Amino acid sequence: MKFSANRLYVEQYLKCDNCGILLYEGEPQIADAEAGKKFCSDWCVDWYRTETMKRFGRDAG
Amino acid sequence: MDYVQMNILESTMVSICREMGITLMKTSYSTIFNEALDFTCALADRNGDMVAVAEFCPAQIGGMPLLIKTCVREIPLEQIEEGDVIVHNDPYRGGLHTPEHTFFKPFFVDGRLEGFAVAIGHIAEVGGMVPGGFCGEATEIFHEGLRVPPVKIKRRGVDNEDVWKIMLANVRTPRYNYGDLRAMISAVDLGVSRIAGVYAKYGKANVQQTIADLMDYSERRMRAEIENIPDGIYEFADKVEDDGIEEREFDIVVRAHVRGDQLIVDYTGSSKQARGPINATLGVTWSATYNALLHLTDPTIPKNSGCFRPVKVVAPPGTIVNVDYPAPEVGGNTETHPRIAGTLLGALGQAIPHRAMAAEGSTHANFVFGGTDARTSEYFACYDLESNGWGGRSFADGNDSCDSINGNCRITPVEVFETRFPWRIERFGLVTDSGGAGKFRGGLGYQKQMLCLNEEITASQMSDRYKLAPWGLHGGRPGGKAATLIQRAGTRDWLTVQQAYNKVSPSKYSNITIRQGDRVILQMPGGGGFGDPAERDPAMLQHDLSEGYVSRDGAAREYGVTEAAE
Repeated sequence: MKFSANRLYVEQYLKCDNCGILLYEGEPQIADAEAGKKFCSDWCVDWYRTETMKRFGRDAG
Repeated sequence: MDYVQMNILESTMVSICREMGITLMKTSYSTIFNEALDFTCALADRNGDMVAVAEFCPAQIGGMPLLIKTCVREIPLEQIEEGDVIVHNDPYRGGLHTPEHTFFKPFFVDGRLEGFAVAIGHIAEVGGMVPGGFCGEATEIFHEGLRVPPVKIKRRGVDNEDVWKIMLANVRTPRYNYGDLRAMISAVDLGVSRIAGVYAKYGKANVQQTIADLMDYSERRMRAEIENIPDGIYEFADKVEDDGIEEREFDIVVRAHVRGDQLIVDYTGSSKQARGPINATLGVTWSATYNALLHLTDPTIPKNSGCFRPVKVVAPPGTIVNVDYPAPEVGGNTETHPRIAGTLLGALGQAIPHRAMAAEGSTHANFVFGGTDARTSEYFACYDLESNGWGGRSFADGNDSCDSINGNCRITPVEVFETRFPWRIERFGLVTDSGGAGKFRGGLGYQKQMLCLNEEITASQMSDRYKLAPWGLHGGRPGGKAATLIQRAGTRDWLTVQQAYNKVSPSKYSNITIRQGDRVILQMPGGGGFGDPAERDPAMLQHDLSEGYVSRDGAAREYGVTEAAE
């Protein structure tokens, strides 16, 4: 979740591309440039690669 | 770990939450609170983890960590002071749906913020396109009422009048909303005062340690329950029949991975988010997952966030189980929640059939209406929730006419309904043959027939199970479907909403005009059956026939029993 500079409104709702949890600006995030995805944790990166990609391939989320 | 002290403290905290709820019920103005009990009261730690909750509405418990996490992102802990009360309903900031307002009141011990008393409740009227908050044809969040990001409605014990003015200027029933919001504040006031007494009695370090032990204990109990489920991947799918905008079905797909004492619940493969208001927020999907798990496991496990540590939910963004801004979502919390919970019950039911239930009706009807009451000249708005039949189980028939599993709410009694709103209830009864046949049949739905007494009432609805019946399990048959029927004054025909008002969906629509003398029937679905109907105990079927739960034709059709054979 990215807030405006004065923090009065939200400019963007960012979510983990695997589990869907809100990603707050300033919190650690893991970007996967190859997949064009962002994740909240190593667990989600691993799940996305080993389960979601396996099931849905390029059509995954 | 002192188990005796842990048990005493747990019971004390749950009692505090119950007392908060009773206060809310008794001081509120709207039937949604004082009759239907559509709220939850809980205590949380400073991280947002729930430490105790009372037995009110389970739809609301899973979202608590998300709600508090967002709250403290926008109002940092160091800016939260004694006497503050924070209100928050934004579905895109961890909330459940726009009507669900969460009140947090912090409690401090020795000058340090220790946690929050929390009341989450369904405010009946929130502005937006339709009276009553459920716009069945909404296509964006802005149609669904006022979004309130985390703001202090009280600051150091004093009303923040600017917030009150904005919240009350944007709803149709400010007097009722004022009373209901005050009731929620009373609940959190009481929670803070009571928990302060607990810390004073037992000592800060002792209480902190006992709460930590309690959450660890719940986690261990839940891990033991999961470990008893055979390892494997269990799949199930169900559908929401339309979204009020497009006449097509939407999939809820689940793969439950049981790995030792861990459960990973993956909803990948569910439909992309809908244009209409059936989408669930992540908080709803977490709640639905936890709700299903609590139904399948030992009910004596203390309910707190420790229970959910062994569970990981995967809900990809932009789908019907994790909606992206700014799509509408009001029906996600009432209709899609039980559908999500049902898919997980269906999946894990394959591994532990003795604990599973066939599909319940899984709709709240969500018949909402408003207008100016000719008797009082005051604007009224009502969120009318209804009940349905529950699914058959491995050991018993489904319950008749209970609120869907995510609500645990009550219906408003006829006498109260007629006193508060300009309708007369002409008929209210169970629907014969609506329980899905089975060794253990589904519970029955019911039918409620209402006569409009006001010159005009504006009504909307956000429901489901009108086209796709609740499924049976292990050979059980589907339950009866829902229906909404309209009879215009002076006519004899009963019409669907599609026929009468040219709407896309029979169950999701907005702002139809009901006139004086018109009648409305709300028919609620029955539950699915469990097991082969041929295995039903003849004595139970005979009882069904004598009570009118099953008709002679139904007995012949579903159970192969003719009069001669009885």
